[in-house]
Amino acid sequence: MTESAIVSAAITEWTASGEPTPSLMDRLASVAVEALRRAKLRPRDVDAVIATTTALPFDNPSFITISAQHFAHRLASKIGSHGMKCINVCGACASTAIAFATADAMIKSGYIKTALVVGADNSPRGFYYQAPSVLDTDLATGYPHKVVGITNPSYWAMWARRRAYEMGKPVEDIKELMALVKVIHSEYGARNPYARYRKVFTVEEVLKSPVVCDPLHLYMIAATSSGAGAIVVADMERAKKLTDKPVKIAASAIGGPLSNEPAPRLVHFATAGGGRAVRPFTEWRRAIEEAYKQAGITAEDIDIMEVHDTNCFNTINWIDQAMGWEREETDKLIRKGEIRHNGRLPVNLSGGTASFGEAVQCQALMMIHELFLQLRGEAGERQATKKLRVGLCTAYGAYGSYGAIIVEKAW
Amino acid sequence: MSKEKRKVPIVDGLFTWPSDEPRLIGSRCPVCGSVQFPKSNVCNNPDCDHSKEPEQILLSPEGTLYSYTIHRYDLRPPFDYHKAPYAIGAVELPEGIIVVGRLTTTDEEKLKIGMKVRLKVGELYSEGENAYLTYFFEPVEEVRK
Repeated sequence: MTESAIVSAAITEWTASGEPTPSLMDRLASVAVEALRRAKLRPRDVDAVIATTTALPFDNPSFITISAQHFAHRLASKIGSHGMKCINVCGACASTAIAFATADAMIKSGYIKTALVVGADNSPRGFYYQAPSVLDTDLATGYPHKVVGITNPSYWAMWARRRAYEMGKPVEDIKELMALVKVIHSEYGARNPYARYRKVFTVEEVLKSPVVCDPLHLYMIAATSSGAGAIVVADMERAKKLTDKPVKIAASAIGGPLSNEPAPRLVHFATAGGGRAVRPFTEWRRAIEEAYKQAGITAEDIDIMEVHDTNCFNTINWIDQAMGWEREETDKLIRKGEIRHNGRLPVNLSGGTASFGEAVQCQALMMIHELFLQLRGEAGERQATKKLRVGLCTAYGAYGSYGAIIVEKAW
Repeated sequence: MSKEKRKVPIVDGLFTWPSDEPRLIGSRCPVCGSVQFPKSNVCNNPDCDHSKEPEQILLSPEGTLYSYTIHRYDLRPPFDYHKAPYAIGAVELPEGIIVVGRLTTTDEEKLKIGMKVRLKVGELYSEGENAYLTYFFEPVEEVRK
């Protein structure tokens, strides 16, 4: 099997959502061209564009548009195409991780040599709503908001409370831990010119912010935002000609819904039958375990992580799942500040989604971009002080969508 | 004189109505026994041969509280009839599935993970002549904290 590597990466600054200009396609094109320029490539050198799709509001409700489902094709035409293969991918907040893994698999199989992975989003403000279409009135996933008033933070809040309960601790314990996660992430967001929020928070400020769903406070939840990113991936032979610091893709795994997952899954009314047969969050772990296997490594080999923190509970849960240790170990790691740039296991030195906000369809590109910089020693004030070799990126989204990427220095 | 409002389930097919003792409507696969909520036209067990369609069943009215949260933020239209604060729970039913639903109380002193809760149907909001109904889980034991 061919080896693959990241050749270049570019992201825009994450900004408030809802701003109509520049248009999403213009943002996508600018950042795509920037990634190509950094790799000294022209569109003709790109064999495939893999883009994520998004959901956008329409001016006129009597028209539908399929344009946002075809970003790859539209981007190819816009930047100049010699007939490059165009693939559009969707997997909620894990979309770009899945797009990235798709590109990687195509290169490793030998089908293509160079791919451009792109994503852009201008996410709707506030809580996300899943509403059924008149042509798709699926009871299982279309109606929980309408019937129960359940929002994404409600699921996260219930998971957080359950974790505290299973550890025999009061809910205040996880609440303080989540506040600390926000504080630490914000220290790095403040050092990242691409982050939307640059303010350093205190635990007290986080706990004084309004309660959204107890134990989750407002500042523990990522704000919906807009952003765009692009990454150039190539087979190793080519990558080594294009850069002297290619970042090897040691693994890229895609995870999907698991029918016996016992933790209630976002936007579903219920878990599937027989759900208590496995540990909660098995669904989350599957892609990571597969990635470890692909890379031939174990959790102990991970030097740095970028994990998808749509809310501060997720940072905690990702460390639990990726490390596979007792949950007390995760709590200790965070409380001792070992997830900082000078710690034992740096986590989210980008500032995380906590500092970026979430532009749903390009969030993993932001994380992979950070690992790319960190491994190359180009992260400036955020640079991890320990010697880095292997990095893990994990993404997760509604409907049971997951991705895990392992990158490694190849020089 | 105010006329009594017409009671209408907010969505059809989730719970029995009208009924003195409402129940959630699920389905069970006659081949592998897998239970689902809401009911489905196909089984969701990846190891099932899918040779028969699931049959409709009524789920147990009582379950155990797996976790809960009090939603203290208002929702945007058209879902703003969910008036904060309101409570949401995940309830484990004897059939082996965990169902999310509204809880009848937002008083945290009355809620505890592991407690028994029971299904009931009640008003979510009313508009014009209609009162829209949804399902709730109600604590059936006192909490000793």
